[in-house]
Amino acid sequence: MDIFFGQLFTGLSIASILLLVALGLAIIYGAMGVINLAHGEFVMLGAYGTWFLQSQFGLPLIPCLLLVFFMVAAAGWVVESTVVRFLYHRPLDTILATWGIGIMLQQAVRLSAGAELRYVQTPEFLSGSIDIAGVGIPSYRLFILALTAALLALTWFVIQRTEFGMKLRAVTQNREMASCYGINSARIYSLTFAFGSGLAGLAGALVAPIKSVAPDMGTNFVVDAFMVVVVGGVGSLIGTVVSSGLLGSGTAGIAFLLNDTLAKALVFLAVVVLVRFRPQGLFVDQRRR
Amino acid sequence: MSKSTLSRSKPYAQLAAYLLFCAVILAVPSFVTDAFLLNKFARYLALGLAAAALALSWGYAGILNLGQGVSFGIGAYAIAMHLKLKTSPVHTGSAGLPDFMVWNNLDHLPWFWQPFHSSLFAVAAGILAPVVVALLLGSFMFRARIAGVYVAIITLAMLAVVNLLFIDQQAYTGGFNGITDLAWLEAGSVTFDPYSPAFYYLSAGALSLCLLLGLAFTRSKAGLILQAIRNDADRVRFFGYDVAAYQSLAFAVSAGMAGLAGMLYAMVLEFASPTFMGVPLSLSMVIWAAVGGRGSLLGAAIGAILVNFMQGSLSESFLDTWQLILGGMFILVVVFLPNGLSSLIGILADRLTRPARQTPDTALAALSEAPRAGRTPS
Repeated sequence: MDIFFGQLFTGLSIASILLLVALGLAIIYGAMGVINLAHGEFVMLGAYGTWFLQSQFGLPLIPCLLLVFFMVAAAGWVVESTVVRFLYHRPLDTILATWGIGIMLQQAVRLSAGAELRYVQTPEFLSGSIDIAGVGIPSYRLFILALTAALLALTWFVIQRTEFGMKLRAVTQNREMASCYGINSARIYSLTFAFGSGLAGLAGALVAPIKSVAPDMGTNFVVDAFMVVVVGGVGSLIGTVVSSGLLGSGTAGIAFLLNDTLAKALVFLAVVVLVRFRPQGLFVDQRRR
Repeated sequence: MSKSTLSRSKPYAQLAAYLLFCAVILAVPSFVTDAFLLNKFARYLALGLAAAALALSWGYAGILNLGQGVSFGIGAYAIAMHLKLKTSPVHTGSAGLPDFMVWNNLDHLPWFWQPFHSSLFAVAAGILAPVVVALLLGSFMFRARIAGVYVAIITLAMLAVVNLLFIDQQAYTGGFNGITDLAWLEAGSVTFDPYSPAFYYLSAGALSLCLLLGLAFTRSKAGLILQAIRNDADRVRFFGYDVAAYQSLAFAVSAGMAGLAGMLYAMVLEFASPTFMGVPLSLSMVIWAAVGGRGSLLGAAIGAILVNFMQGSLSESFLDTWQLILGGMFILVVVFLPNGLSSLIGILADRLTRPARQTPDTALAALSEAPRAGRTPS
């Protein structure tokens, strides 16, 4: 039973990190149709931002989170208004251009912060572990889990209950029509991209204490996040949540039976098969064309 | 698309450009005698071949394959397995087991390694294995009418799968380290030392042959149908063509060329590693093809050679900044020149010829051409 709970928690923990990273991507891809391969680099920027604030100003992790969100959101805003804006009618080219942006961000960080691994400290009150049902669970992982849930709720609120969210949904459904009703769609897209990037930055800040921080850490994140978004279905928040749960628990389960590498390979293979039979994803919103 | 109108109006100019390029690369050893440089150039040519292969599926058939590394890597491992078997007795004694197998406690050669004692089998496997994989994956995808972004995502996921499997099966593939310490390929009395002109000729010959065959393929009926599918798959389907079969064909031909490129690359570096199947290399290939021109095999090959040549000839200290410039250059090309540098030639040719014959006829033609010109292959 202990093993089962342990595995369940490992699965949840992997899933929460997946969801955290995929959330921003899901919004950008779902609302704008932009395949943002620089997403992993925004995660990386968030991690480095945290490291920088912590090592230079001695800020603890929690206040860092808010600052990092706005820093990376600003970076996303710049990227949108200088490059991505020109590619909305060429979705495949966004893959290429954002990869180029990724290369530049990676190299810029490597030049300014150095290529060596960096470490971010876990806050002291979260460094212990909590005993639940006889299983010792690192409290930082629980913290991530809780924060992911909070961010999810926040995202849902922003999209479903604010004026910005309403405009965003209108632009997503039909950009021309929305513009005719006086919605500044270019501004909405910029803000959406910034919001998604900011979420990626937050994800980076949160995973920084448990993963090593390196300039090329984003590449793995972006592939994983894409699989989550595609499996869940474009433009479906619930889908993203469920698919990160599925992929997370799947990875943890297979890794328990076989090993980590094979688990990842098999999960990706399952994704390939799934995309083939349901390219629209598991939870597609039927109202979208 | 200015490129295709150019090729339609001047088919001989295009052929001449290909032949000129082949002549130039084949003439290089007459001027360059430095073994180190020849080795470098041979490496660029192998990467050029990989980019040309990508242009065949991406530019001509509209299949954006982000997992070119699958074919490239399988080719590389096929030849590496053969060359490892030739070298291993020197390293591990009479048993003839490759060193990494000894470290993984294997006591005999796995059955699927046995046929790689033959160089002919290894070369055939390096080309045909990627073709078979591509045919399977291709028909798996295209029968379900998967297109556009989803092709990119599936191929990217497959790349990750194959990469992880090769890393995982350490006893058979060498794991993270890959297969190192390779012998030189021998064919008849010729030994292809990667620092010799003989190897350079092998690389240049393979690229020339593939470019010319590829050109013939794109000019054939199948090539035309593929371009039609790229522009509007549904319309071609309504004409009664089996769209999935043609797409799988293009995917497989491209995979075979990429497999050959992978073989050359493994031979020139004298190792095969899972990084050949990493996401960064496969996306770099896409970059090279896009910079050179996805709509032209030659353009893509030149793009790859140029980018790598520039990268290779910069000093170590400047290399860091180079990545920044490369990323920036790439973004500029994607945003402003979606058909790559090779489309510049077409644009310039149009500029030069248009004012000379500004008759009502050509003006009308230009007008009717205009809406189509905005359409880029995607």
